[in-house]
Amino acid sequence: MWGRVVEIMTAVWLAGSPFIFGVQSDATILWADLGLALLIWTLSGLSYWHPTRHAHLLILVVSVGMIVWGRFYVTPPPPAHENHIVVGLFLLMIALIPNEASQPPRVWRQQTST
Amino acid sequence: MSRASIPVDDLNRNVPPYHHNPSAWSQRIPICLLAFVAAIISVHLSLYQWGFIESAYDPVFGESSNKVLKSDTAKSMYGILGIHDAALGVLAYLGDAILGFAGSTRRWQYRPWLVILFGIDVIPLGIVSVVLVLFQAFVVGSWCFLCLITAVISLILVYWAWDEVRSSLAYLFIVWKENHKWHLLWDAFWGNRNEQLDAAGEILLSRKVS
Repeated sequence: MWGRVVEIMTAVWLAGSPFIFGVQSDATILWADLGLALLIWTLSGLSYWHPTRHAHLLILVVSVGMIVWGRFYVTPPPPAHENHIVVGLFLLMIALIPNEASQPPRVWRQQTST
Repeated sequence: MSRASIPVDDLNRNVPPYHHNPSAWSQRIPICLLAFVAAIISVHLSLYQWGFIESAYDPVFGESSNKVLKSDTAKSMYGILGIHDAALGVLAYLGDAILGFAGSTRRWQYRPWLVILFGIDVIPLGIVSVVLVLFQAFVVGSWCFLCLITAVISLILVYWAWDEVRSSLAYLFIVWKENHKWHLLWDAFWGNRNEQLDAAGEILLSRKVS
C-alpha cells in the first residue's frame, strides 16, 4: 500500500501549500487546496477497504483537474498554481500504482488459472 | 490466497532470450536508484530556474549552465508547460523510479500495462534528453554540465529498461499470434488470467536460448 501512503503524504503537502506559498489570504486557493487534500485523503483511505479498493483511481480525475486549474487559471502560473501542476502530475503517476504493488495480482496468486 | 502459494521459482524464472529475469529486483532497483539520482540533480537545476539559488553547479562549463537554464528556449518551454523544464524532469525521473519499483518480479507477464507505462516514461525521456542536448549545441550555443549528466543517465535507463519492456511486448505478441483475439490481448495487457494466457507465458519461457 505504499502508493496510498505517498498519496496521503502528498495531500499533507497540498494542505500546507497555501501557507508555504504565502497565499493563505486568497480564500479560493486556501479552501480549494484544503478540500482537494481532504478528497485525496478520503479516496486513499477508502482504498484500504476491500469493497472500495479501486477508489484511488478517482485521484486521477482530481489530478487532471489540478493540472488544468494550475495551468490555465492564471497565465503564466504563479508559484501556488505551479505547485498545483507539479502535484497533479505527481499524483497522476502515484494514483496508478496498485494497492498491493509488490505482489502479483490476486488472480495470479492461485496455482492454476480458472 | 496467501502469497506463499506461489512457488518462488515461478516468480523468478529467466525470460529467454535473456539469461536473467528482467523484472527481478536486481534488475529494477539500480534503475530506481539511478532515476532518483537524476531526479535530485534535476531538483538542483529547477531550484536555479525558480530563482531559489544564484547559480547552477557546473565545474566544467562555468556560467554556461546558467545561460542554458535561463535561455529563450527554456523560457519558451516554461511558457508552454507552465512549469520549468527542469521541474518536469524531476517528475519524469521520479516517474521512472516509481513505475520501476511497482510490481512483482514477474510483472512482465502479470502487469504488462505497468511495464509498458514504465517504458513510455523511460524511452521518450531518453529521446527528450538527447533533443535537449542538441538544443544546447545548435540553438543555445552553450553547455550545461548537469544537463549532460542527466541526459547520459536517461540513455543508461533506456538501455537498462529495454529488456523488461521487450519481454512484455513479446508476451503480448505471443498472445496475439497464438489466438488472434482482441479480447485476449486486452486481458493480457491488463494482467487478467486464463488458460490461453498461462500457455502464452509458458511459450515465451520455454524458448531456446542460443
